[in-house]
Amino acid sequence: MIALTELLPLSDTLTPADQAELTQIVREAYVDATPIYPIGGGTSLDFGLAPRDAGLGLAMRGLKRVIDYPARDMTITVEAGITIDALAASLAKERQWLPIDLPNAHQATLGGVIATNTYGARRYGNGTMRDYVIGIAAVDGRGSMFHGGGRVVKNVAGYDFCKLLTGSLGTLGVITQVTLKVKPRPECSRFVACRVRNLQAADRLLESMVTTRTMPAAVELLIGPAWQNDAALGQLPAGEIGVVVVGFEGTEPEVAWMVSTLFNQWHRLGGNPVAVPDDQTEGLWTRLAQFPVEGSAALVIKASLRPSRTQNFIAGILQIDPSCDIQSHAGNGNVIARLSQFGSGGISNLLVGALQPAAVEHDGKVIVLSYNQPSELTRQAVWGSTGDAGSIMEEIKRRFDPKNLLNRGRFAYAG
Amino acid sequence: MSAATLPNLVDELRGVVGFDGVLAAHADLVVYECDGFVIEKNCPDVVVFPRTSQQVADIVRLANKHGVPFVPRGAGTSLAGGCLPVGGGVMIVLTRMKAIEEINLRDRYAIVQPGVVNAWLNQALKGTGYHYAPDPSSQGACTIGGNVATNSGGPHTLKYGVTVNHVLGVEAVLPDGRIVQVGGPTEDSAGLDLVGAIVGSEGTLAIVTKAWVRLTRDPEGCRTMLGVYDSVDDASNTISEIIGAGIIPAALEMMDQGILVAVEQAFNFGFPLDAQAILLIEVDGVEAGLDAQRDRIIELCKKCGAREVRQAKDAAERLLLWKCRKQAFGAVGRLSPSYCTQDGVVPRTKLPHISRRIREIGEKYSVRIVNVFHAGDGNIHPILLFDERDPEQIMRVLAASTEILDECINCGGSVTGEHGIGVEKIGFMHKMFTIEDIDAMERLRMAFNPDGRLSPCKMLPTAGACGMEQNGKPHEKAIVQIRPGRRAAL
Ligand SMILES: Cc1cc2nc3c(=O)[nH]c(=O)nc-3n(C[C@H](O)[C@H](O)[C@H](O)COP(=O)(O)OP(=O)(O)OC[C@H]3O[C@@H](n4cnc5c(N)ncnc54)[C@H](O)[C@@H]3O)c2cc1C
Ligand SMILES: Cc1cc2nc3c(=O)[nH]c(=O)nc-3n(C[C@H](O)[C@H](O)[C@H](O)COP(=O)(O)OP(=O)(O)OC[C@H]3O[C@@H](n4cnc5c(N)ncnc54)[C@H](O)[C@@H]3O)c2cc1C
Repeated sequence: MIALTELLPLSDTLTPADQAELTQIVREAYVDATPIYPIGGGTSLDFGLAPRDAGLGLAMRGLKRVIDYPARDMTITVEAGITIDALAASLAKERQWLPIDLPNAHQATLGGVIATNTYGARRYGNGTMRDYVIGIAAVDGRGSMFHGGGRVVKNVAGYDFCKLLTGSLGTLGVITQVTLKVKPRPECSRFVACRVRNLQAADRLLESMVTTRTMPAAVELLIGPAWQNDAALGQLPAGEIGVVVVGFEGTEPEVAWMVSTLFNQWHRLGGNPVAVPDDQTEGLWTRLAQFPVEGSAALVIKASLRPSRTQNFIAGILQIDPSCDIQSHAGNGNVIARLSQFGSGGISNLLVGALQPAAVEHDGKVIVLSYNQPSELTRQAVWGSTGDAGSIMEEIKRRFDPKNLLNRGRFAYAG
Repeated sequence: MSAATLPNLVDELRGVVGFDGVLAAHADLVVYECDGFVIEKNCPDVVVFPRTSQQVADIVRLANKHGVPFVPRGAGTSLAGGCLPVGGGVMIVLTRMKAIEEINLRDRYAIVQPGVVNAWLNQALKGTGYHYAPDPSSQGACTIGGNVATNSGGPHTLKYGVTVNHVLGVEAVLPDGRIVQVGGPTEDSAGLDLVGAIVGSEGTLAIVTKAWVRLTRDPEGCRTMLGVYDSVDDASNTISEIIGAGIIPAALEMMDQGILVAVEQAFNFGFPLDAQAILLIEVDGVEAGLDAQRDRIIELCKKCGAREVRQAKDAAERLLLWKCRKQAFGAVGRLSPSYCTQDGVVPRTKLPHISRRIREIGEKYSVRIVNVFHAGDGNIHPILLFDERDPEQIMRVLAASTEILDECINCGGSVTGEHGIGVEKIGFMHKMFTIEDIDAMERLRMAFNPDGRLSPCKMLPTAGACGMEQNGKPHEKAIVQIRPGRRAAL
């Protein structure tokens, strides 16, 4: 892990103990016009554009309490600096969970995950953070604390700040407290995997997921050296491009039925499915979650496309870097690629000239998750276009953070 | 609007949508003086029926040019007065934009125009193995545009979520007349989640002219049960027990005796009329797990004191059960000349408490209250029965409603689970939110709607929210046109 100071130009770092102290710090920073960099677990401070102006680090690790956990209501209210593992441990006591896969869960914080709207393979069956945050409190760029939503699972009073703040990279407010909707933990979990010779074969299997009678939790397509010798998936023979992996969760009889149904379904399509051994299931979930942050790739990108077009997009990436590692949340049309080589045209050229047009062609977009030369990155390369609604986003930013102090210059706003 | 500008505006609007796309005669306008919330009424000055997004944009530009407010309207089933044309002006009715533009099963979305009625989309999807999950009880009439604007829910919200969980993108006309697309057929949009901001904004941020909605696979099977109880408490406790056991039913609805009687008279289902409460419980998913879930649920119902637990014996009986539930409001007409439906939410575990309090409050104000709850979500719909010819009764109904909603807030809940704030519940916003919260909401609104001409005086209680300032002065008409005697309803 790179040292904090290399990632952020910090003049100082403060660690408030509670929301009141945090509010006070932001208020003073507003008066002095000091830029502020919220810091959660520090696992992805390189996500987004590199900050240029020196400012104050606002470490969230002091705000980590569980405020209220009425398990029978399936909601929990916590402070935003709680780590994902600590949150999971609280929920596990009541056999509940937040079914979103996250890398570095021992370190990553809930606030950071919401600010970046991170998700993983279980998105197919469970959705994203956006679907789980039902109440939120944040401190805006002027040091004013505001709330949205509440503590009940159904609520349409007022504008939905939960949605607006999710994925805003801390640029509208420092998230201080969150109420989540949570779910019962499924009894059992199992994977079916099927190797494929080429992308067409993968597409046939994936297309069959549209009419399957099963209800998968995850539908993944895995390609590249990272998956060639996976403990759960076995050795991928030469001549096969990758493996389609489907995860099921539920009660024992449900999962058993779904596994055998998918087996039959894929057999009929000429595939040769295998079941991942039970003792490898947990490990595979973890590797699926960790994929975006593992390895030493120069560049990690994430594309969101129409599911039917993901294979075309992947073919394009494989032309650029035949040995790149790919994890596609194929059922959702997401592609995460770790590239180690991408020609000499420079990062902007690669993204703006090749990958973004390819994504747009499939009604999607592509963003940079990380790049080993962050200072080379441009806004257009990292975030692509915000479309014709960009001016509204800038107007919102201006009204929540008039001095542009929060994560200045790092997000998708122009100017 | 001044008598001088109106004829010009009407002519110009006819230039945009044609002669048959504009209503300007008073007798025609009266139809649009309110929606399902009938306590406040006000006529728009003109009603327009666009057929395209471009026409919507042109209408908005004209309204701006003449400096008059404008308000979008779908089917007008809103129960919070979202369609009330405060300050008169132009009402933009989107029901002629009713095409389903695309159904794409491979990518699991459909593109619909705002005037598509919720149930039409599901009719169009019949046989495909997919459906559109949000199912408000008004689904036979309400539009997807209205659902998006109010973030509608329905009985299946418990498992499948509300509208915002199923909208991938929208095309919208901004209050300055620009047409923008946020989100689209793919799942993540760039930058801020404006889809999430627009959904549920009750038509105060933008006019939705198209929506990309997520399609959901039909479950392979379902089991529908009816738990019969001698006490509301036992029924409420069952809900907590089921969820505590880690089962998330597709739906968990409660009706009390008062409403049962009305529903039984209307549909002859065969409900036991002496039961104090019934629970309608449905689980769905792959067949393999369903019998086990059903057995477990029956066991939990019995453990909590259910007198009997019936099962829908076939698809026809299941449909009839759902019809009884979904048309429960309609059946209430048999009980009383007028009724007022509340829409509070409490944490699920507080249902026994709130049920008791509703009973006490009804007694305190001598108001008869019957109940139908989206119990799995803690969303309660107490229905207060009265005779609107008796002003004294109205006052008692209003007082009782307020006390019930205050109690929801005290329990950590909300004053609206699905109907919205509209004009009806503006008075509660300060009870639920701080001044800073409301100020933040105001700033969000101003980012979209700086002149405040789009749907003024809705949702936010601050004066500025009315946004009806003209030359720095508040727009007098906004206040004058609302009948003063009816403001009590707020
Ligand atoms: C290689 C890589 C892959 C990733 N994959 C994905 C992915 O697939 N999808 C995706 O969207 N993200 C992805 N991320 C982001 C990352 O996984 C999560 O953001 C991480 O879990 C954040 O947690 P953290 O507490 O460590 O946040 P930090 O690293 O501390 O902070 C992350 C960002 O969030 C802001 N922030 C932190 N806490 C708060 C708060 N309380 N309020 C407001 N802002 C705050 C920070 O200012 C910073 O900009 C990836 C990151 C990396 C490096
Ligand atoms: C019997 C009955 C049962 C009901 N049951 C439920 C239920 O189970 N769940 C539930 O959530 N609601 C329910 N409702 C309330 C209502 O049906 C919903 O709020 C519905 O979504 C409104 O749709 P509509 O087309 O009638 O919208 P309208 O009533 O016409 O408008 C509602 C609001 O949306 C705005 N609006 C409408 N169209 C647009 C657009 N295209 N762009 C921007 N803003 C727009 C309007 O300005 C207004 O503020 C019920 C109502 C009735 C009468």
